Amino acid sequence: MFGLAATKLNEFEEGKISRRKLIEALTLAATATGAAGSARAASAQVGVKPALINHVSYTCPNFKQAADWYSKVFNLDQVGVKDTEITLPFGKMGEQPYNVTAKDVPLTFLLVRTRDGNAPLANGQPRPKATNLVNHMAYTVADFEPNRVKAELEAMGVKNVRGTGPNALHMDDVFGYDVEICGLANTALTDGA
Amino acid sequence: MERFIADLVKDFEKGKINRRQFCETVALAATVFAAGSAAQAAPARGLKMLGVNHVSYACADYRVARDWYAKVLNTPIYNDKGMGRANLAFGPEQGKGGQFLITRNFGPNPPKPAAATVDHICYTVANWDDTRVNADLKAAGTNPVGRKGSVNIYDPYGFQVQISSIDGENPFI
Repeated sequence: MFGLAATKLNEFEEGKISRRKLIEALTLAATATGAAGSARAASAQVGVKPALINHVSYTCPNFKQAADWYSKVFNLDQVGVKDTEITLPFGKMGEQPYNVTAKDVPLTFLLVRTRDGNAPLANGQPRPKATNLVNHMAYTVADFEPNRVKAELEAMGVKNVRGTGPNALHMDDVFGYDVEICGLANTALTDGA
Repeated sequence: MERFIADLVKDFEKGKINRRQFCETVALAATVFAAGSAAQAAPARGLKMLGVNHVSYACADYRVARDWYAKVLNTPIYNDKGMGRANLAFGPEQGKGGQFLITRNFGPNPPKPAAATVDHICYTVANWDDTRVNADLKAAGTNPVGRKGSVNIYDPYGFQVQISSIDGENPFI
């Protein structure tokens, strides 16, 4: 990028390109990484290529109680409060998701709700009965250090905090659901390796 | 970014910064842009959420789920040693905010009935186009149903998978 900036600046000083062209070229180059990613995503031939998890839909007996627990433990704001659900975005309005450069990818959020899991779909069709189980959700937190994080969680009254390695801790949420928290070092390449 | 660079050019022209400073600042701006704008440091107290790390998906045969998600979500597969689990990666680079789905077999004990469940996961697709997303999902053998900016499909175990644009599902809209 340094080299390109120097070259374009030379061209500008020599009158080969206009001021506007200089600005456009450097803006394009500086933002090209994200644009290239989006272009690759657009060219998927079969299936789609997710940029990120958009939301996790979590159903429980008391959505307010669960939302308060997640707000307290993960410092999450509550927005979009409705009769049966609350949205907890992983950041503030206007922030970009961590390390995502594409501008059309929103912050991930947790959708905490209380609803009948057997209710028909919005189109009136019966809801398929899932035979799998999402048996835990894992979240990445900044500056993960297991001893510090474990102490913080226990000070907050979090139940059943247990270590599972240098990069992760498990705990029970307010409804006994298994929640894992990890550092950035816990990846698809290392987890279960 | 454009405004920032325009101001930088102005500063260079006025002699407020030299040639080296100009080039260094442009290079730094590009690096910062690529890294994303989220603050990375943990707060003094409590935890700072960066995002989902992984989804642990248990089922009768992990290979069925693995193959379906690899095809429908175009995910590379890691750590499949034929031992009943595989990791499917997506999003940013792994270790830099990348996420993954673990498909795994149910353990020896049947899952306990839970008071709380994750009943679906929604994935964002960038550069959204309704026609293209529906066509790509059908080409992968699924039956997408939905609305503008958002569709739902079901995996082989009947689990709901939502695919959405920033307009279809946005926490602030």
